[in-house]
Amino acid sequence: MKITITVNGEKREVETTPSTRLLDLLRDDLHLTGTKEGCGKGECGACTVIMNGELVASCLVLSPQADGAEITTIEGLGTEEELDPIQEAYIEAGAVQCGFCIPGMVLASKKLLEENPQPDEGEIRRGLSGNICRCTGYQKIIDAVKLAAKKLAGTGKLAGAGKSRGKGGGR
Amino acid sequence: MKESAARSGNRQGTSGGDFKDCFRPEDYFTASKYFAPESLKEAVEILEGYGGDLKVLAGGTDLLVEYYERLYEVKGWLDLKNIPGLKEIKVFEDRIEIGPLVTHTELEKSENIKEYYPVLNRAAADVGSPQIRNRGTIGGNIITASPAGDLLAPLMAYDAEFKLVSTRGERIVPVGQFFTGPKRTIISSNEILSRIIIPLPGERTYGSWCKVGKRKALIISSITLALVVKFNKERVIKDIRACLGAVAPTPVEIKEVRKRARGKRIEDLNFSELGELVAERISPIDDIRGTAEYRRDVAREIMINALEEIAEKAAE
Repeated sequence: MKITITVNGEKREVETTPSTRLLDLLRDDLHLTGTKEGCGKGECGACTVIMNGELVASCLVLSPQADGAEITTIEGLGTEEELDPIQEAYIEAGAVQCGFCIPGMVLASKKLLEENPQPDEGEIRRGLSGNICRCTGYQKIIDAVKLAAKKLAGTGKLAGAGKSRGKGGGR
Repeated sequence: MKESAARSGNRQGTSGGDFKDCFRPEDYFTASKYFAPESLKEAVEILEGYGGDLKVLAGGTDLLVEYYERLYEVKGWLDLKNIPGLKEIKVFEDRIEIGPLVTHTELEKSENIKEYYPVLNRAAADVGSPQIRNRGTIGGNIITASPAGDLLAPLMAYDAEFKLVSTRGERIVPVGQFFTGPKRTIISSNEILSRIIIPLPGERTYGSWCKVGKRKALIISSITLALVVKFNKERVIKDIRACLGAVAPTPVEIKEVRKRARGKRIEDLNFSELGELVAERISPIDDIRGTAEYRRDVAREIMINALEEIAEKAAE
C-alpha cells in the first residue's frame, strides 16, 4: 500500500505495509536514521518524533496510521553547520554522552519549549518523562533545556515558531 | 545499493554480515489488511465481514506493543481514525459524551473534564508519558480492559456507560457490567465502542484520585483509587463510590462503603474503619508490581487519605 507523508517539510510517497511501524518507515525506507529504536514498546522514547504537532513514539504508530501526517524528525532541526538552539544547548551543557537517547530528548525538549517557553524544573522533568537516558543521570539534560529556554528567549526565536508550529493542526 | 539487495533477498537464514539489513516486519507479522473507513456504519460492516480477524485500532499504544511481542496474530486492522465525531467531548444537559478516540492528553487538557470529572482528568494526566498520552485513548483503555487501566476506576466512580454498535444495532452497557476478567469484556468481535456516556455529577460532588506505582512516569499501576462523594445541601452523603484498579481481575467498586456511609456526614465517618473495609474487600494478587499484602496495606491508607482530602474540600 502507498501512503503520503510530509517529513521535515518534504512530501514523500512511500510504499509500505500494514505491519510496518512508522519507525521502520523512517529508518529503512527514508533512511532517516537519526530516529532510534530502543525498547520498541513505547517506554524509552528513543524513537520519538513529532507527528501532526504532537510528540509520539514512532515504534507505536503503524505507517498507514501516519498517512497524510506531518512528521518532524531530528533531521528536521539543525544541521552540523547551523545547529538548532536546543542542540547547541545540549552540547554546551555537556548533556550528551553516548547520544542514543538524544534525538528523542531534543524533540521532547522542542515540544516542551513550544508549549511552555519558561518551564520550571518539575515541568521539564514531566515534559521529558517519556525519554530514558542511561548515561547522564538527567541533571545535565535538565540544565540543557534551561539553557535552551534562555537561548530561545534571547533570540526571540521561539522553538519551532514559523517552522512547525501551526503546521501540525490537522488532528 | 544495499537497501535494494536487502529488500529482494537476504532474509531469514542469512549470514552474519547482512543481518542488520534483513529484518522487514512484513516478513514476520501477519497483518496484511488495513481499513480506515469514514463512517461508523461502514466500520461495523467491515468488522462483521471479517468476524474476529480484524483488530479495531485506536491509538495503538497497547495493541501494537502486544502485536510486536507476538501475543496475537491478526489478518488486519480496522483503524477508527477517519470516522468523524469519535474525537469529540460533548456536553448535554444531564451527561457528557466522550468519543472513544479522545486521547489522555485531551482528557487532561479539557476544561469540561477538569470541571465535571476531576478524578478522570487527573488519572489521564498520570497515564504513561507525553508520547503515550498523545496517542493512547479512553476507548483503547476501556477495551484493553487491563485490571490496572488507569481510567477504569474513575469511570466506574462516575457511573459511566458504554455505547456499543454493530450492524445489528446498538446497546448501552453500564461500566459495572462491562469488565469480566483481566483483559476481558462483554464486547463482541463485531461491536465497536462508539461513546462513553457519563452523567453530570451535579453540585457538591467531590473526588479524590490516587495512583501508586514504582515510578511516576510510564508505570503500570500497583494500585489505583478513585473516590467520588456526593453531598446534599445539608452536607449529608447522598452517594459515595470507592473504586479501585489493579487489586482484582477487573476494576472494582467496594459497594459496602456506600452502604456504610450513605446518609451520614463525612465528619461522622470512621475513616480507619472504611480503610480497613476496602482492604478486606479487594482481592489482590502477588505480582511484580507488589504483593497482595502490600496492596491491602496501601489500599487502606490511600482510602483514609482520600476521605481526608474530600472532607477538607467539602468543608471549604
